[in-house]
Amino acid sequence: MARLAAILKALWRAFQRGEKSIATLAGNNFFLVALLFLGKAGTFLFLIMGLVILFPLSTDPLRKIPPSRLGLWPLEKREMWLLRAISPWVNPMTWAIVALALWAARGRVTVGLWAMAAGLVAAGFVISELPLPRGATMWRRVPHFPGRLDQLVRKNLREMLSTLDFYCALLLSLSTALYRIFGPPLPPEALMAMTLLVVIALSSYAQCLFGLDGVGGWSRYGLLPLSAWRILAAKDAAFLVIVVVLSAPLAPLAGLGAALVALAMGRRSSVLDPRPQARWRFSAGASPVYGIGQIIAMAFAASSIFLTSWLIVFPCVALWAGSLWWYGQKMEEKELAA
Amino acid sequence: MISCRNLTRRYGDFTAVDNLNLEVETGAICVFLGPNGAGKSTTVKMLTGLLPPTSGTVEVCGLDAAANARELKRRIGVLPEDLGLFDDLTVEEHLHLTGAVYGLDRHETRRRTDQLLHTLSLEHGRHTFASACSHGMRKKTSFAMALLPSPQVLFLDEPFEAVDPVTSRIMRDLLQSAARRGVTIFLTAHILSVAEELATQVVMIRKGKIVWNSPAAELKQSLEAHYFDLVESPVVEDLEWLGSPPS
Repeated sequence: MARLAAILKALWRAFQRGEKSIATLAGNNFFLVALLFLGKAGTFLFLIMGLVILFPLSTDPLRKIPPSRLGLWPLEKREMWLLRAISPWVNPMTWAIVALALWAARGRVTVGLWAMAAGLVAAGFVISELPLPRGATMWRRVPHFPGRLDQLVRKNLREMLSTLDFYCALLLSLSTALYRIFGPPLPPEALMAMTLLVVIALSSYAQCLFGLDGVGGWSRYGLLPLSAWRILAAKDAAFLVIVVVLSAPLAPLAGLGAALVALAMGRRSSVLDPRPQARWRFSAGASPVYGIGQIIAMAFAASSIFLTSWLIVFPCVALWAGSLWWYGQKMEEKELAA
Repeated sequence: MISCRNLTRRYGDFTAVDNLNLEVETGAICVFLGPNGAGKSTTVKMLTGLLPPTSGTVEVCGLDAAANARELKRRIGVLPEDLGLFDDLTVEEHLHLTGAVYGLDRHETRRRTDQLLHTLSLEHGRHTFASACSHGMRKKTSFAMALLPSPQVLFLDEPFEAVDPVTSRIMRDLLQSAARRGVTIFLTAHILSVAEELATQVVMIRKGKIVWNSPAAELKQSLEAHYFDLVESPVVEDLEWLGSPPS
Protein backbone atom coordinates (compact mmCIF):
# COMPACT_ATOMS: atom_id res chain seq x y z
CA MET A 1 0.00 0.00 0.00
CA ALA A 2 2.94 2.35 0.60
CA ARG A 3 3.77 2.18 -3.10
CA LEU A 4 0.21 3.03 -4.04
CA ALA A 5 0.05 5.90 -1.55
CA ALA A 6 3.31 7.33 -2.94
CA ILE A 7 1.99 7.16 -6.51
CA LEU A 8 -1.34 8.76 -5.58
CA LYS A 9 0.46 11.53 -3.70
CA ALA A 10 2.65 12.24 -6.75
CA LEU A 11 -0.41 12.08 -8.99
CA TRP A 12 -2.27 14.57 -6.83
CA ARG A 13 0.69 16.93 -6.92
CA ALA A 14 1.12 16.61 -10.69
CA PHE A 15 -2.61 17.08 -11.30
CA GLN A 16 -2.77 20.17 -9.11
CA ARG A 17 0.24 21.71 -10.86
CA GLY A 18 -0.83 20.83 -14.35
CA GLU A 19 -4.56 21.47 -14.21
CA LYS A 20 -5.11 25.08 -15.11
CA SER A 21 -8.51 24.76 -16.77
CA ILE A 22 -10.46 26.56 -14.06
CA ALA A 23 -7.90 29.36 -13.94
CA THR A 24 -8.00 29.77 -17.73
CA LEU A 25 -11.79 30.09 -17.72
CA ALA A 26 -11.59 33.09 -15.37
CA GLY A 27 -9.64 35.02 -18.01
CA ASN A 28 -11.67 33.86 -20.99
CA ASN A 29 -13.85 36.50 -22.62
CA PHE A 30 -16.66 34.16 -23.63
CA PHE A 31 -16.90 32.85 -20.10
CA LEU A 32 -16.98 36.45 -18.80
CA VAL A 33 -19.78 37.44 -21.18
CA ALA A 34 -21.83 34.39 -20.31
CA LEU A 35 -21.34 35.02 -16.63
CA LEU A 36 -22.03 38.76 -16.69
CA PHE A 37 -24.58 39.38 -19.39
CA LEU A 38 -26.29 36.21 -20.51
CA GLY A 39 -27.80 34.84 -17.32
CA LYS A 40 -31.21 34.69 -18.90
CA ALA A 41 -30.18 33.46 -22.30
CA GLY A 42 -31.78 30.06 -21.87
CA THR A 43 -30.91 26.42 -22.22
CA PHE A 44 -28.96 26.64 -25.46
CA LEU A 45 -26.25 28.91 -24.12
CA PHE A 46 -26.06 26.96 -20.86
CA LEU A 47 -25.65 23.78 -22.88
CA ILE A 48 -22.73 25.37 -24.72
CA MET A 49 -21.31 26.61 -21.42
CA GLY A 50 -21.72 23.09 -19.99
CA LEU A 51 -19.85 21.69 -22.92
CA VAL A 52 -17.08 24.23 -22.80
CA ILE A 53 -16.60 24.06 -19.04
CA LEU A 54 -17.13 20.39 -18.21
CA PHE A 55 -15.39 18.88 -21.19
CA PRO A 56 -11.86 20.24 -20.71
CA LEU A 57 -12.00 19.71 -16.95
CA SER A 58 -12.86 16.04 -17.29
CA THR A 59 -9.47 14.51 -17.92
CA ASP A 60 -8.30 11.25 -16.47
CA PRO A 61 -5.62 12.08 -13.84
CA LEU A 62 -3.86 8.76 -14.52
CA ARG A 63 -2.78 10.25 -17.86
CA LYS A 64 -0.33 12.41 -15.92
CA ILE A 65 1.82 9.31 -15.49
CA PRO A 66 3.71 8.49 -18.70
CA PRO A 67 2.54 5.02 -19.88
CA SER A 68 6.13 3.77 -20.14
CA ARG A 69 6.77 4.74 -16.51
CA LEU A 70 3.53 3.17 -15.31
CA GLY A 71 4.38 -0.01 -17.20
CA LEU A 72 7.84 -0.17 -15.63
CA TRP A 73 6.76 0.22 -12.00
CA PRO A 74 6.71 -3.13 -10.19
CA LEU A 75 3.01 -2.90 -9.24
CA GLU A 76 0.91 -5.96 -8.61
CA LYS A 77 -2.37 -6.51 -10.43
CA ARG A 78 -4.38 -5.66 -7.32
CA GLU A 79 -2.46 -2.39 -6.90
CA MET A 80 -3.06 -1.48 -10.56
CA TRP A 81 -6.80 -2.02 -10.10
CA LEU A 82 -6.83 0.07 -6.96
CA LEU A 83 -4.89 2.83 -8.74
CA ARG A 84 -7.38 2.75 -11.61
CA ALA A 85 -10.31 2.95 -9.17
CA ILE A 86 -8.91 5.66 -6.90
CA SER A 87 -7.17 7.95 -9.41
CA PRO A 88 -10.39 9.53 -10.87
CA TRP A 89 -11.08 10.95 -7.39
CA VAL A 90 -8.01 13.15 -7.75
CA ASN A 91 -10.05 15.17 -10.25
CA PRO A 92 -12.54 17.47 -8.43
CA MET A 93 -15.03 16.93 -11.28
CA THR A 94 -15.68 13.39 -9.99
CA TRP A 95 -16.65 14.82 -6.59
CA ALA A 96 -18.82 17.45 -8.30
CA ILE A 97 -20.76 14.74 -10.16
CA VAL A 98 -21.31 12.82 -6.91
CA ALA A 99 -22.55 16.01 -5.23
CA LEU A 100 -24.88 16.63 -8.17
CA ALA A 101 -26.17 13.04 -7.86
CA LEU A 102 -27.00 13.68 -4.19
CA TRP A 103 -28.83 16.87 -5.15
CA ALA A 104 -30.71 14.97 -7.85
CA ALA A 105 -31.73 12.34 -5.30
CA ARG A 106 -33.14 15.10 -3.08
CA GLY A 107 -34.95 16.66 -6.05
CA ARG A 108 -32.83 19.87 -5.99
CA VAL A 109 -31.78 19.34 -9.62
CA THR A 110 -33.38 17.22 -12.31
CA VAL A 111 -32.09 13.75 -13.09
CA GLY A 112 -31.78 14.89 -16.73
CA LEU A 113 -29.36 17.68 -15.79
CA TRP A 114 -27.31 15.28 -13.66
CA ALA A 115 -27.27 12.74 -16.50
CA MET A 116 -26.08 15.40 -18.97
CA ALA A 117 -23.28 16.60 -16.67
CA ALA A 118 -22.26 13.03 -15.79
CA GLY A 119 -22.33 12.08 -19.48
CA LEU A 120 -20.08 15.02 -20.41
CA VAL A 121 -17.62 14.24 -17.64
CA ALA A 122 -17.59 10.54 -18.59
CA ALA A 123 -17.08 11.47 -22.24
CA GLY A 124 -14.20 13.72 -21.22
CA PHE A 125 -12.59 10.83 -19.31
CA VAL A 126 -13.03 8.40 -22.20
CA ILE A 127 -11.84 10.84 -24.85
CA SER A 128 -8.77 11.70 -22.79
CA GLU A 129 -7.89 7.98 -22.94
CA LEU A 130 -8.14 7.80 -26.74
CA PRO A 131 -4.99 8.25 -28.82
CA LEU A 132 -6.32 11.39 -30.53
CA PRO A 133 -4.15 13.24 -33.04
CA ARG A 134 -2.57 16.47 -31.86
CA GLY A 135 -4.13 19.68 -33.11
CA ALA A 136 -1.59 20.04 -35.88
CA THR A 137 -2.01 16.49 -37.17
CA MET A 138 -5.76 16.88 -37.26
CA TRP A 139 -5.50 20.02 -39.39
CA ARG A 140 -2.80 18.87 -41.81
CA ARG A 141 -4.58 20.27 -44.87
CA VAL A 142 -4.91 23.97 -44.17
CA PRO A 143 -4.84 26.22 -47.24
CA HIS A 144 -1.73 27.97 -48.55
CA PHE A 145 -1.46 31.75 -48.56
CA PRO A 146 0.39 34.01 -50.97
CA GLY A 147 3.70 35.56 -49.94
CA ARG A 148 6.69 34.44 -47.98
CA LEU A 149 4.79 34.24 -44.71
CA ASP A 150 2.71 31.34 -46.05
CA GLN A 151 4.05 28.67 -43.70
CA LEU A 152 3.91 30.96 -40.68
CA VAL A 153 0.24 31.77 -41.36
CA ARG A 154 -0.55 28.07 -41.83
CA LYS A 155 1.19 27.25 -38.55
CA ASN A 156 -0.74 30.00 -36.76
CA LEU A 157 -3.98 28.72 -38.24
CA ARG A 158 -3.25 25.21 -36.95
CA GLU A 159 -2.46 26.62 -33.52
CA MET A 160 -5.80 28.43 -33.40
CA LEU A 161 -7.62 25.33 -34.55
CA SER A 162 -6.24 23.44 -31.57
CA THR A 163 -7.91 25.74 -29.02
CA LEU A 164 -11.45 25.26 -27.70
CA ASP A 165 -12.19 28.92 -28.46
CA PHE A 166 -12.47 28.07 -32.14
CA TYR A 167 -14.90 25.19 -31.56
CA CYS A 168 -17.07 27.31 -29.28
CA ALA A 169 -17.20 30.04 -31.98
CA LEU A 170 -17.86 27.41 -34.66
CA LEU A 171 -20.77 26.01 -32.67
CA LEU A 172 -22.28 29.48 -32.30
CA SER A 173 -21.77 30.37 -35.96
CA LEU A 174 -23.11 27.06 -37.27
CA SER A 175 -26.15 27.01 -35.05
CA THR A 176 -27.05 30.60 -36.02
CA ALA A 177 -26.54 29.84 -39.71
CA LEU A 178 -28.76 26.76 -39.46
CA TYR A 179 -31.38 28.75 -37.59
CA ARG A 180 -31.28 31.35 -40.38
CA ILE A 181 -31.89 28.64 -42.95
CA PHE A 182 -34.50 26.55 -41.19
CA GLY A 183 -36.03 28.82 -38.52
CA PRO A 184 -38.23 31.91 -38.66
CA PRO A 185 -36.52 35.13 -39.89
CA LEU A 186 -34.12 36.69 -37.40
CA PRO A 187 -34.10 40.44 -36.73
CA PRO A 188 -30.90 42.00 -38.20
CA GLU A 189 -29.74 43.08 -34.71
CA ALA A 190 -29.74 39.43 -33.64
CA LEU A 191 -27.30 38.66 -36.43
CA MET A 192 -25.00 41.41 -35.20
CA ALA A 193 -25.27 40.15 -31.61
CA MET A 194 -24.44 36.57 -32.64
CA THR A 195 -21.51 37.80 -34.75
CA LEU A 196 -20.20 39.70 -31.77
CA LEU A 197 -20.58 36.60 -29.62
CA VAL A 198 -18.60 34.57 -32.20
CA VAL A 199 -15.74 37.10 -32.17
CA ILE A 200 -15.86 37.36 -28.37
CA ALA A 201 -15.47 33.57 -28.20
CA LEU A 202 -12.26 33.97 -30.23
CA SER A 203 -11.03 37.21 -28.69
CA SER A 204 -9.14 35.84 -25.67
CA TYR A 205 -6.79 34.20 -28.16
CA ALA A 206 -5.95 37.70 -29.44
CA GLN A 207 -4.47 38.38 -25.99
CA CYS A 208 -2.07 35.44 -26.20
CA LEU A 209 -1.12 35.05 -29.86
CA PHE A 210 2.26 33.45 -29.02
CA GLY A 211 0.91 31.15 -26.32
CA LEU A 212 1.20 27.94 -28.33
CA ASP A 213 4.57 28.60 -29.99
CA GLY A 214 6.61 27.23 -27.12
CA VAL A 215 10.21 28.02 -26.26
CA GLY A 216 11.47 26.67 -29.59
CA GLY A 217 9.07 28.89 -31.49
CA TRP A 218 10.24 32.00 -29.67
CA SER A 219 13.88 31.30 -30.39
CA ARG A 220 13.06 30.64 -34.06
CA TYR A 221 11.29 34.01 -34.29
CA GLY A 222 14.47 35.53 -32.87
CA LEU A 223 16.58 33.87 -35.58
CA LEU A 224 14.39 34.66 -38.60
CA PRO A 225 15.52 37.74 -40.53
CA LEU A 226 12.01 39.23 -40.38
CA SER A 227 10.70 42.48 -38.92
CA ALA A 228 8.62 41.85 -35.83
CA TRP A 229 5.56 43.47 -37.39
CA ARG A 230 5.58 40.78 -40.09
CA ILE A 231 5.58 38.05 -37.45
CA LEU A 232 2.62 39.77 -35.81
CA ALA A 233 0.90 40.20 -39.19
CA ALA A 234 1.20 36.44 -39.80
CA LYS A 235 -0.52 35.86 -36.45
CA ASP A 236 -3.25 38.35 -37.30
CA ALA A 237 -3.83 36.88 -40.76
CA ALA A 238 -4.72 33.50 -39.26
CA PHE A 239 -7.04 35.13 -36.71
CA LEU A 240 -8.79 37.21 -39.37
CA VAL A 241 -9.22 34.25 -41.74
CA ILE A 242 -11.09 32.36 -39.03
CA VAL A 243 -13.23 35.38 -38.10
CA VAL A 244 -14.11 36.05 -41.74
CA VAL A 245 -15.13 32.43 -42.33
CA LEU A 246 -17.19 32.14 -39.13
CA SER A 247 -18.91 35.51 -39.47
CA ALA A 248 -19.58 35.17 -43.22
CA PRO A 249 -23.10 33.72 -42.73
CA LEU A 250 -23.90 36.36 -40.08
CA ALA A 251 -22.73 40.00 -40.18
CA PRO A 252 -19.25 39.82 -41.77
CA LEU A 253 -18.29 43.50 -41.69
CA ALA A 254 -19.27 43.88 -38.04
CA GLY A 255 -17.27 40.71 -37.36
CA LEU A 256 -14.24 42.06 -39.19
CA GLY A 257 -14.36 45.36 -37.32
CA ALA A 258 -14.70 43.62 -33.95
CA ALA A 259 -11.82 41.26 -34.84
CA LEU A 260 -9.50 44.13 -35.81
CA VAL A 261 -10.29 45.88 -32.53
CA ALA A 262 -9.81 42.61 -30.59
CA LEU A 263 -6.34 42.21 -32.14
CA ALA A 264 -5.38 45.82 -31.48
CA MET A 265 -6.57 45.63 -27.87
CA GLY A 266 -5.00 42.23 -27.27
CA ARG A 267 -1.63 43.25 -28.67
CA ARG A 268 -0.19 44.63 -25.46
CA SER A 269 -0.76 41.39 -23.59
CA SER A 270 0.36 39.23 -26.53
CA VAL A 271 3.67 41.02 -27.02
CA LEU A 272 4.66 42.35 -23.62
CA ASP A 273 3.25 39.63 -21.40
CA PRO A 274 3.14 36.39 -23.42
CA ARG A 275 1.75 33.48 -21.43
CA PRO A 276 2.05 29.85 -22.48
CA GLN A 277 -1.31 28.27 -23.37
CA ALA A 278 -2.43 24.65 -23.46
CA ARG A 279 -3.92 22.94 -26.48
CA TRP A 280 -7.54 21.80 -26.31
CA ARG A 281 -8.23 24.34 -23.61
CA PHE A 282 -9.77 27.80 -23.68
CA SER A 283 -7.32 30.63 -24.13
CA ALA A 284 -6.52 32.43 -20.92
CA GLY A 285 -6.60 36.19 -21.28
CA ALA A 286 -4.46 38.60 -19.28
CA SER A 287 -7.13 39.46 -16.69
CA PRO A 288 -10.93 39.86 -16.43
CA VAL A 289 -10.56 43.67 -16.45
CA TYR A 290 -8.45 43.55 -19.63
CA GLY A 291 -11.01 41.19 -21.15
CA ILE A 292 -13.97 43.41 -20.29
CA GLY A 293 -12.18 46.41 -21.85
CA GLN A 294 -11.59 44.38 -24.99
CA ILE A 295 -15.23 43.23 -25.10
CA ILE A 296 -16.59 46.77 -24.70
CA ALA A 297 -14.35 48.09 -27.51
CA MET A 298 -15.37 45.20 -29.77
CA ALA A 299 -19.07 45.73 -29.03
CA PHE A 300 -18.68 49.44 -29.79
CA ALA A 301 -16.95 48.74 -33.11
CA ALA A 302 -19.37 46.01 -34.23
CA SER A 303 -22.52 47.94 -33.33
CA SER A 304 -21.22 51.17 -34.91
CA ILE A 305 -20.44 49.36 -38.15
CA PHE A 306 -23.76 47.55 -38.14
CA LEU A 307 -26.03 50.37 -37.01
CA THR A 308 -24.26 53.47 -38.36
CA SER A 309 -22.03 52.92 -41.36
CA TRP A 310 -19.76 50.28 -42.81
CA LEU A 311 -17.14 53.03 -43.26
CA ILE A 312 -16.35 52.65 -39.55
CA VAL A 313 -14.35 49.59 -40.61
CA PHE A 314 -11.62 52.03 -41.73
CA PRO A 315 -10.91 53.48 -38.29
CA CYS A 316 -10.79 49.88 -37.04
CA VAL A 317 -8.22 49.07 -39.74
CA ALA A 318 -6.23 52.17 -38.78
CA LEU A 319 -6.28 51.19 -35.09
CA TRP A 320 -5.14 47.67 -35.99
CA ALA A 321 -2.36 48.91 -38.32
CA GLY A 322 -1.17 51.38 -35.67
CA SER A 323 -1.00 48.62 -33.05
CA LEU A 324 0.87 46.41 -35.52
CA TRP A 325 3.53 49.06 -36.08
CA TRP A 326 3.81 50.16 -32.45
CA TYR A 327 3.98 46.70 -30.92
CA GLY A 328 6.25 45.51 -33.72
CA GLN A 329 8.74 48.10 -32.45
CA LYS A 330 8.13 47.03 -28.87
CA MET A 331 8.69 43.40 -29.79
CA GLU A 332 12.04 44.20 -31.38
CA GLU A 333 13.06 46.26 -28.36
CA LYS A 334 12.03 43.38 -26.13
CA GLU A 335 14.08 40.91 -28.17
CA LEU A 336 17.13 43.13 -27.84
CA ALA A 337 16.65 43.45 -24.11
CA ALA A 338 15.84 39.77 -23.54
CA MET B 1 34.89 36.10 -39.30
CA ILE B 2 33.81 35.81 -35.64
CA SER B 3 35.29 38.19 -33.14
CA CYS B 4 34.24 38.96 -29.61
CA ARG B 5 35.88 41.19 -27.07
CA ASN B 6 35.35 41.22 -23.31
CA LEU B 7 32.03 39.44 -23.83
CA THR B 8 30.20 39.13 -20.53
CA ARG B 9 26.73 37.99 -19.59
CA ARG B 10 25.42 38.23 -16.05
CA TYR B 11 22.15 36.98 -14.59
CA GLY B 12 21.84 38.92 -11.34
CA ASP B 13 24.89 37.97 -9.28
CA PHE B 14 25.71 34.97 -11.45
CA THR B 15 28.20 35.52 -14.28
CA ALA B 16 27.47 32.99 -17.01
CA VAL B 17 30.14 34.27 -19.41
CA ASP B 18 33.05 36.28 -18.09
CA ASN B 19 35.21 38.55 -20.28
CA LEU B 20 35.41 36.21 -23.24
CA ASN B 21 37.83 37.14 -26.03
CA LEU B 22 37.78 35.06 -29.17
CA GLU B 23 38.74 35.19 -32.85
CA VAL B 24 37.66 32.59 -35.42
CA GLU B 25 39.07 32.78 -38.94
CA THR B 26 37.06 32.31 -42.16
CA GLY B 27 36.70 28.61 -43.02
CA ALA B 28 37.69 27.42 -39.55
CA ILE B 29 35.80 24.80 -37.57
CA CYS B 30 35.92 26.06 -34.02
CA VAL B 31 34.85 23.50 -31.44
CA PHE B 32 33.70 25.02 -28.18
CA LEU B 33 33.95 22.60 -25.28
CA GLY B 34 32.98 22.72 -21.64
CA PRO B 35 30.92 20.95 -18.98
CA ASN B 36 27.17 21.49 -18.56
CA GLY B 37 26.46 25.01 -17.32
CA ALA B 38 29.90 26.32 -18.32
CA GLY B 39 28.41 29.07 -20.53
CA LYS B 40 28.60 27.47 -23.99
CA SER B 41 24.96 27.96 -24.99
CA THR B 42 24.90 31.46 -23.52
CA THR B 43 27.92 32.31 -25.66
CA VAL B 44 26.25 30.90 -28.78
CA LYS B 45 23.10 32.90 -28.04
CA MET B 46 25.14 36.10 -27.74
CA LEU B 47 27.09 35.38 -30.92
CA THR B 48 23.86 34.83 -32.87
CA GLY B 49 22.08 37.91 -31.52
CA LEU B 50 19.54 35.87 -29.53
CA LEU B 51 20.81 37.29 -26.26
CA PRO B 52 22.33 40.73 -25.73
CA PRO B 53 25.61 40.72 -23.76
CA THR B 54 25.77 42.55 -20.46
CA SER B 55 29.00 44.08 -21.75
CA GLY B 56 31.49 43.53 -24.53
CA THR B 57 31.13 43.40 -28.30
CA VAL B 58 30.43 40.71 -30.88
CA GLU B 59 31.29 40.99 -34.55
CA VAL B 60 30.25 38.33 -37.04
CA CYS B 61 30.85 38.67 -40.81
CA GLY B 62 32.15 42.16 -40.09
CA LEU B 63 28.80 43.17 -38.59
CA ASP B 64 28.21 44.31 -35.04
CA ALA B 65 25.70 41.77 -33.70
CA ALA B 66 23.79 44.33 -31.64
CA ALA B 67 23.57 47.09 -34.27
CA ASN B 68 22.95 44.96 -37.37
CA ALA B 69 20.90 42.11 -35.95
CA ARG B 70 18.64 41.57 -38.98
CA GLU B 71 21.43 41.76 -41.56
CA LEU B 72 23.47 39.35 -39.45
CA LYS B 73 20.55 36.89 -39.29
CA ARG B 74 20.52 36.78 -43.10
CA ARG B 75 24.15 35.63 -43.17
CA ILE B 76 24.23 33.01 -40.45
CA GLY B 77 22.66 29.61 -39.98
CA VAL B 78 21.91 28.45 -36.46
CA LEU B 79 21.04 25.19 -34.78
CA PRO B 80 19.91 26.54 -31.39
CA GLU B 81 19.97 24.63 -28.12
CA ASP B 82 16.16 24.27 -28.11
CA LEU B 83 16.14 23.52 -31.87
CA GLY B 84 13.70 26.36 -32.62
CA LEU B 85 10.96 24.27 -34.21
CA PHE B 86 7.23 24.89 -34.38
CA ASP B 87 5.02 21.99 -33.28
CA ASP B 88 2.48 22.87 -35.96
CA LEU B 89 4.75 22.61 -39.00
CA THR B 90 6.00 19.46 -40.69
CA VAL B 91 9.67 18.78 -41.38
CA GLU B 92 9.25 19.83 -45.01
CA GLU B 93 7.21 22.92 -44.12
CA HIS B 94 10.01 24.10 -41.80
CA LEU B 95 12.42 24.01 -44.74
CA HIS B 96 9.95 25.74 -47.06
CA LEU B 97 9.46 28.44 -44.43
CA THR B 98 13.24 28.93 -44.19
CA GLY B 99 13.65 29.21 -47.96
CA ALA B 100 10.84 31.75 -48.28
CA VAL B 101 12.00 33.88 -45.36
CA TYR B 102 15.61 33.95 -46.60
CA GLY B 103 14.48 35.07 -50.04
CA LEU B 104 15.05 31.90 -52.08
CA ASP B 105 12.60 31.34 -54.92
CA ARG B 106 10.16 28.47 -54.70
CA HIS B 107 12.01 26.24 -57.18
CA GLU B 108 15.36 26.64 -55.45
CA THR B 109 13.78 26.11 -52.03
CA ARG B 110 12.19 22.85 -53.17
CA ARG B 111 15.43 21.68 -54.80
CA ARG B 112 17.48 22.33 -51.67
CA THR B 113 14.76 20.88 -49.45
CA ASP B 114 14.69 17.64 -51.42
CA GLN B 115 18.48 17.38 -51.36
CA LEU B 116 18.71 18.02 -47.63
CA LEU B 117 15.88 15.62 -46.79
CA HIS B 118 17.56 12.94 -48.88
CA THR B 119 21.06 13.57 -47.52
CA LEU B 120 19.94 13.60 -43.90
CA SER B 121 17.63 10.56 -44.31
CA LEU B 122 14.58 12.64 -43.49
CA GLU B 123 12.58 11.78 -46.60
CA HIS B 124 10.34 9.27 -44.85
CA GLY B 125 9.42 11.87 -42.22
CA ARG B 126 9.06 14.90 -44.44
CA HIS B 127 5.32 15.16 -43.73
CA THR B 128 5.66 14.48 -40.00
CA PHE B 129 4.85 17.33 -37.66
CA ALA B 130 7.73 18.46 -35.46
CA SER B 131 5.66 17.57 -32.40
CA ALA B 132 5.52 13.96 -33.56
CA CYS B 133 9.20 13.65 -34.54
CA SER B 134 11.84 11.84 -32.54
CA HIS B 135 14.51 14.02 -30.96
CA GLY B 136 16.98 12.91 -33.62
CA MET B 137 14.60 13.91 -36.42
CA ARG B 138 14.00 17.26 -34.80
CA LYS B 139 17.73 17.85 -34.54
CA LYS B 140 18.24 16.94 -38.19
CA THR B 141 15.40 19.27 -39.22
CA SER B 142 16.95 22.16 -37.32
CA PHE B 143 20.36 21.32 -38.84
CA ALA B 144 18.83 21.31 -42.33
CA MET B 145 17.20 24.69 -41.62
CA ALA B 146 20.61 26.08 -40.67
CA LEU B 147 22.18 24.86 -43.93
CA LEU B 148 19.38 25.65 -46.38
CA PRO B 149 20.03 29.40 -46.94
CA SER B 150 23.77 28.66 -47.54
CA PRO B 151 25.03 30.86 -44.69
CA GLN B 152 28.53 32.34 -44.33
CA VAL B 153 28.75 31.24 -40.70
CA LEU B 154 27.16 28.24 -38.99
CA PHE B 155 26.51 28.18 -35.26
CA LEU B 156 25.63 24.71 -34.06
CA ASP B 157 24.75 23.92 -30.46
CA GLU B 158 25.34 20.21 -29.78
CA PRO B 159 24.60 19.09 -33.35
CA PHE B 160 25.59 15.44 -32.85
CA GLU B 161 23.61 14.63 -29.72
CA ALA B 162 20.79 12.10 -30.32
CA VAL B 163 21.75 11.60 -33.96
CA ASP B 164 22.31 8.11 -35.35
CA PRO B 165 25.90 7.15 -36.35
CA VAL B 166 25.31 7.25 -40.11
CA THR B 167 23.69 10.69 -40.04
CA SER B 168 26.39 11.88 -37.67
CA ARG B 169 29.00 10.81 -40.24
CA ILE B 170 27.05 12.59 -43.02
CA MET B 171 26.74 15.75 -40.93
CA ARG B 172 30.50 15.74 -40.23
CA ASP B 173 31.26 15.33 -43.94
CA LEU B 174 28.86 18.15 -44.82
CA LEU B 175 30.46 20.45 -42.29
CA GLN B 176 33.97 19.67 -43.48
CA SER B 177 33.01 20.27 -47.09
CA ALA B 178 31.29 23.56 -46.14
CA ALA B 179 34.40 24.69 -44.26
CA ARG B 180 36.57 23.90 -47.31
CA ARG B 181 34.31 26.26 -49.29
CA GLY B 182 34.90 29.06 -46.81
CA VAL B 183 31.98 28.62 -44.41
CA THR B 184 33.02 29.33 -40.83
CA ILE B 185 31.68 26.87 -38.29
CA PHE B 186 31.32 27.38 -34.57
CA LEU B 187 30.00 24.36 -32.73
CA THR B 188 29.60 23.13 -29.20
CA ALA B 189 29.97 19.44 -28.50
CA HIS B 190 30.20 16.88 -25.71
CA ILE B 191 31.29 13.98 -27.91
CA LEU B 192 35.03 14.53 -27.77
CA SER B 193 35.96 12.01 -30.46
CA VAL B 194 33.74 13.84 -32.98
CA ALA B 195 35.06 17.20 -31.84
CA GLU B 196 38.64 15.98 -32.25
CA GLU B 197 37.97 14.80 -35.79
CA LEU B 198 36.38 18.07 -36.91
CA ALA B 199 38.17 20.84 -35.07
CA THR B 200 40.68 23.17 -36.63
CA GLN B 201 40.43 25.37 -33.52
CA VAL B 202 39.68 24.22 -29.98
CA VAL B 203 38.27 26.48 -27.29
CA MET B 204 37.53 25.22 -23.79
CA ILE B 205 35.42 27.09 -21.28
CA ARG B 206 34.92 26.52 -17.57
CA LYS B 207 32.70 28.57 -15.26
CA GLY B 208 32.29 31.20 -17.98
CA LYS B 209 36.01 31.71 -18.62
CA ILE B 210 38.12 30.45 -21.49
CA VAL B 211 40.74 28.03 -20.19
CA TRP B 212 42.15 26.96 -23.57
CA ASN B 213 42.15 28.45 -27.08
CA SER B 214 44.48 27.17 -29.79
CA PRO B 215 44.60 25.61 -33.24
CA ALA B 216 43.71 21.91 -32.98
CA ALA B 217 47.13 20.98 -34.36
CA GLU B 218 48.80 22.48 -31.29
CA LEU B 219 47.21 19.99 -28.90
CA LYS B 220 50.02 17.81 -27.51
CA GLN B 221 47.78 15.00 -26.32
CA SER B 222 44.35 13.63 -27.18
CA LEU B 223 41.45 16.05 -26.85
CA GLU B 224 39.90 13.87 -24.16
CA ALA B 225 43.06 13.83 -22.05
CA HIS B 226 43.48 17.56 -22.54
CA TYR B 227 39.87 18.20 -21.58
CA PHE B 228 40.12 16.11 -18.42
CA ASP B 229 43.33 17.92 -17.47
CA LEU B 230 42.09 21.42 -18.07
CA VAL B 231 38.34 21.47 -17.60
CA GLU B 232 37.33 18.71 -15.22
CA SER B 233 38.40 15.17 -14.50
CA PRO B 234 35.83 12.47 -13.83
CA VAL B 235 35.53 11.34 -10.22
CA VAL B 236 33.49 8.18 -9.82
CA GLU B 237 32.06 7.61 -6.40
CA ASP B 238 31.47 3.99 -5.48
CA LEU B 239 27.75 3.46 -4.93
CA GLU B 240 28.06 0.49 -2.60
CA TRP B 241 24.33 -0.30 -2.75
CA LEU B 242 24.46 -0.97 -6.51
CA GLY B 243 24.01 -4.71 -7.04
CA SER B 244 22.29 -5.34 -3.72
CA PRO B 245 19.00 -7.28 -4.12
CA PRO B 246 15.84 -5.15 -4.62
CA SER B 247 13.61 -4.79 -1.56
